[in-house]
Amino acid sequence: MELELAGIQKSYQKKKVLKNISLTAGKGSCVGILGGNGSGKSTLLSILAGVQKADGGAFLYQGEDLLRNSAKIPSVLGYVPQGNPLIEELNAWDNLRMWYDRATLRKELEQGALAMLGIGSFLKTPVRKMSGGMKKRLSIACAVVAKPKILVLDEPSAALDLVCKENIYRYLEQYKAEGGIVLLATHDMQELELCEQCYILKEGVLEAYQYDGDLHHLAGKL
Amino acid sequence: MGRGIAYFYTQLKRMIKIFPRQAIINLLVFLCVGVLMVVFIRDGLLAQDGQKYRIGLVGDMSNSYLGFGVTALQSLDDSRLMIELVTMTDEEAREAFEKGELYAIVQIPEGMMEAIESGANDKPISYIAAEGQKGIGAVVMGQIVDVASTLVTRSQSAIFGLQSIMLERGMQEVFWEATNSLNLLLIELVVNRSGFYDVEVLGIANGLSIEGYYFCSILLFLLLLSGINNSSLFTHKQTDLPRFMKSRGVGAAGQVAGEYLAYLCLMILCIVVMFIPLWLCLEKGLFTIPEWDGMGAAPLWEFLMVLLPVAAMFAALQFLLYELTAGIVSGILLQFICGMGMGYLSGFFYPAAFFPETMQRIGSVMPTGAALRYVNGSVAREEFGAAGLGVLLYLVVFLALSVLVRKNRIRRG
Repeated sequence: MELELAGIQKSYQKKKVLKNISLTAGKGSCVGILGGNGSGKSTLLSILAGVQKADGGAFLYQGEDLLRNSAKIPSVLGYVPQGNPLIEELNAWDNLRMWYDRATLRKELEQGALAMLGIGSFLKTPVRKMSGGMKKRLSIACAVVAKPKILVLDEPSAALDLVCKENIYRYLEQYKAEGGIVLLATHDMQELELCEQCYILKEGVLEAYQYDGDLHHLAGKL
Repeated sequence: MGRGIAYFYTQLKRMIKIFPRQAIINLLVFLCVGVLMVVFIRDGLLAQDGQKYRIGLVGDMSNSYLGFGVTALQSLDDSRLMIELVTMTDEEAREAFEKGELYAIVQIPEGMMEAIESGANDKPISYIAAEGQKGIGAVVMGQIVDVASTLVTRSQSAIFGLQSIMLERGMQEVFWEATNSLNLLLIELVVNRSGFYDVEVLGIANGLSIEGYYFCSILLFLLLLSGINNSSLFTHKQTDLPRFMKSRGVGAAGQVAGEYLAYLCLMILCIVVMFIPLWLCLEKGLFTIPEWDGMGAAPLWEFLMVLLPVAAMFAALQFLLYELTAGIVSGILLQFICGMGMGYLSGFFYPAAFFPETMQRIGSVMPTGAALRYVNGSVAREEFGAAGLGVLLYLVVFLALSVLVRKNRIRRG
């Protein structure tokens, strides 16, 4: 398998938040992680993104443990946190320029990922005047700067309108089609439809789950 | 490293966008405080120059010697510049004293001069001051009265004693000439007593003048409190950007460096803007400090260079305080409390020498204390020494603490 999590553990003082988290994912696949508030989804994703350190376990990509070689994470993985990692006073162009050189940025806006996300339509708009959907698309644009093979998203479409959601889903489908691996923490049923594999994280334990459209059954599991 | 530099440029762009607004607010505050400072210092000095202690003289003023003595004090003696003696009745004096028009009342007891003339010293002058006037002024005045009455009565007793001896020895022909010579000699000695001592005014701190001292302290105080105005510049308490930066390979140190350096650039720009009206005032002679007398505005730019390490340290302190607090409002409150508290203890409002020794020690080891000593030293043209090192040490400590707090913020989310 292209990606493998093996026995990832994390504790906050005496509380074990993640207990031996293991999963695998192949190229062009999407893995959804469900769980109640405070179940540890964001912690797991931030460990994969190199933001937090795990107490144990391995995060293997093409056989290489990225937890032992965290300097490689930025080139392999793009991380979109729950909020928007943007500078409010600046416009989309200025925010993107932090991550892209001028030439690449122009090219991406014309025919790359940024064109697909529709960034060009609000390039000069200050972030503070953007809608939630614009901000989220811009956040994803900032995360995919290094054309990462893995994209980790923390509740990407929370509180977005349908059109924005649709735009983001289309991009994620395209990303998968190009061989990328998507890992997303979600509460959204629509997002689950993007996923080939679903897992439920409860009390620190990850369990595989087959979503069949039965919300009551799913709610009982969380 | 590359990403860190890109982050610094982005932050700088952000600062430049906000700069005009910040500069205008800083400039307005600076101008208001500057005008107040000039008025305060000028009025204070003028008041000090023109201030006279008005003292009421009451009691038995019938003796011509006493009248002559008072006239001599008011017209010849150095004390006339500081003390105004007013002869008045008991009632007038009491009324004026109650209204605060008199600093004190000197009561001449009945028959005092006759007692002196007979060589006795049993009718002392009373010096009456208000209960609240127990400061150094009242103590000095009491001592002056004590010394003056002792000197006068003892000297007069000696003169009268000599008169008796002259009469006993049959020296009538030289009696009046000798008495007058002795009286004139006594008056000359009393009037010229200022030749016995030399007063050297050392200034209030590092030998600085009042204007020099308050120029430094008010400037530092403004810099310290500029963090309140600049609150909107700091990354708000959102943790997403720091966490995202970390995932892109820019750790806490890189983030703090990028944000701090951009903020420092803005602070320096604001200082330069504040210095322009100051430069104009100095150049046109509207304001000056004695240490720079005759040098125009030239020392100001040298002073700006001296101020840079302090600006860097204050910027680091402001940065740390915002890192420590959970929101903008608590951040502003903390900036205000720290600024006022540290400024007060370090002598930004009153020279630290006015405080008890323990407070002076605390104030001097504080970042603000080190900054004030360093800046005062530069105006007084002294070596920077320990105060300069203290400023740099605090700068490093504040930045290191900011990195630790940011690391914690990234980890906890």
